[in-house]
Amino acid sequence: MSNILVIEDDDIMLKAIRNILRKDGHEVLTAKDGKEAFEKLDNEQYDVVITDLMMPYANGLEVVSRLRANTEKRHVGIIVCSSVGNEETITEAFRLGADDYLKKPIMAGELMIRIRKLLANRSSNLKLVTKKK
Amino acid sequence: MWKDLVDLLFQAYEQFSLLPLFIEIALAFIVIAIVATIVAYGVIMYKRYRSYVHEKRVAFISPIIEELITEQVLLNENLGKDVLIEEIEFDQAALANKVYKKPFVRQILIDTLIQYRKNFRGEVGDLLRKLYIDMDLQKDSFAKMKSMRWERKIKAVVELTQMDISISDVTILPLTNSTNPSLRAAARNAYIQLSKNEPFKFFDIATEPLLPWDQLEMFKIITTTKDIAIPNFSRWVSYSSNKSVVSFCLKLIAHYDQQSAIPAVMELLNNKDHYFRADAIACLGKLSAEVAEEKMVRIYNHQPLNCQIEILKAMGSIASGKYLEFLKTEFLYSSNFDIRMNAARAIIRHNTQHSRLLVEELMEMTHEENQLIIKHCLNPLIKY
Repeated sequence: MSNILVIEDDDIMLKAIRNILRKDGHEVLTAKDGKEAFEKLDNEQYDVVITDLMMPYANGLEVVSRLRANTEKRHVGIIVCSSVGNEETITEAFRLGADDYLKKPIMAGELMIRIRKLLANRSSNLKLVTKKK
Repeated sequence: MWKDLVDLLFQAYEQFSLLPLFIEIALAFIVIAIVATIVAYGVIMYKRYRSYVHEKRVAFISPIIEELITEQVLLNENLGKDVLIEEIEFDQAALANKVYKKPFVRQILIDTLIQYRKNFRGEVGDLLRKLYIDMDLQKDSFAKMKSMRWERKIKAVVELTQMDISISDVTILPLTNSTNPSLRAAARNAYIQLSKNEPFKFFDIATEPLLPWDQLEMFKIITTTKDIAIPNFSRWVSYSSNKSVVSFCLKLIAHYDQQSAIPAVMELLNNKDHYFRADAIACLGKLSAEVAEEKMVRIYNHQPLNCQIEILKAMGSIASGKYLEFLKTEFLYSSNFDIRMNAARAIIRHNTQHSRLLVEELMEMTHEENQLIIKHCLNPLIKY
C-alpha cells in the first residue's frame, strides 16, 4: 500500500480521485491549495504526489520544484494533473522534475496504471541505490 | 379606520397643494427616493434569502449526490473489466430514491454530473452519461429547451452538449439563427459538437452574423472536437450571402490548408467589398497559392491600402521569386511607410540567394530610413 498526496482545488475532482485511489488500495491524503500541500509535505512522507497546476497560494509547478529541491523528498513520484494543455507548461513541468503529466479530462484507469508504473520504477530505482551503497 | 386614513391623506394632499412649487418638487423627489430605496433593499433581501436557501439546499443534497456518483460510477465494480458501458446496470434502489424526484435536486444532480464529466473521460465519462440518461435527466434538459427564457435555453443546450445527447435539427437549427447573440453562439457551438455528419449545416441558414468572439470560440471547438467531419469550406465562400460566414470560412480554409478551395477564394478578388478582398488575399497567402500571384500583382494598383498590404504579405508567404522586382519597386518608391515595411519583409521572407543579394543591394542603394526598415525586418526577434 502506498501513501499518496492529492493536491487539487476543485472539491469534486479531489474527492473523486481520492475515492478512486482508495478503491485501488492506496492510502490517500488530500490538500486543497498550495499552502496546505506544503504543510502536509513537510509533515509526512509520500510515495506519489498528484498535483493540479492552477491553485491558490502556490501553483503546481512550485510544488514540483520545491519537492525536487528537497534532498530528502526528491525521490517522490510526481504526477501533474491539469486542464492546461499547452506545450510550454507541459515541458516546464517535466523540466522542473514531474514524472508524468495527465491532461484533464482524465481517464481513471490510465491514472491508476501510471501510478502503478511510477511506483514500480521508484522501487526498482531504490533497490539499485541500496545495492550501490 | 380606513375612513380616518383617507381623511389624513386628503388633508396631507391639501396642505401639500398649498406649498410653494419648488418645495412640492423637492418633497416628490424625497418620496420617490425613499420608495426606490425601500424597493431596492427589498429586492436585495429577497435575492439574498433565495441564494441562502439555495446554498443550504445544495449543502444538504451535495453529499447525497456525490455518494450516488461515487457508489454507482467511480467505484462501479464493472469498470476496467471489459464490460460494455451499455450493459452496466446501476442499483435501481439507489436511483429510485424519492429525493431525486424533486426538480431542484435533479438540477443539482445535472450540474454535478457535468462537473464530473469535465474532469473524467473514458469509461468513467461514459458511465456518467449513462447515469444521466438512466435517471431521465435529459428530459429535464429538453423541457428547459421549451422555456421562453433564453438563459434557460442556453443552460439546456450546454447540458445536452456536455452529456453528448443529440438534439434534433428541428429544435436546434432555429436557435443557431436566434436574434439573441448568446443563445445563437451556444446553439452553434452545440451543433458543431453534436452533429456527426454535417456539423456546419447551420452556415446554410445563417443570416445573423458570426461575431468575432463567437468565431474565436467556434474555431477552438472545431479544432479541439474529435472526429469532426471537416467539409470543403469553399462551398460557403461561393454561395453564402452572410459576410461573416464567408470571412470565417476563409480562416478555416487557411487553417485546414484546403488547396481545392483556391479557385473559389480567387473569385473573391473581384468582390466589391475591400474587407472581403483583404481576407481573401490573406487566405491565398496562407495557402501559398502561387497561381494567384499574377492576379494579385495585376489588381495591386487599384486596391485600397489594407488590400495592398495584404498582397505584399501574401507575396512574402508564397515567395515564388517571380515578383521580386515588383517588391523592390514598391520598397524603393512607395511614399507609404507600411507599404515599404511589408515589401521589405516580403523580400526577406523569400530567403533565397537571389533575395539575399537583393537585400544587400537595397541596403547599399537606399536612404537611411529604408535601411532602418530592412534592419528591423531582418531581426528575427521582431515580428511586427
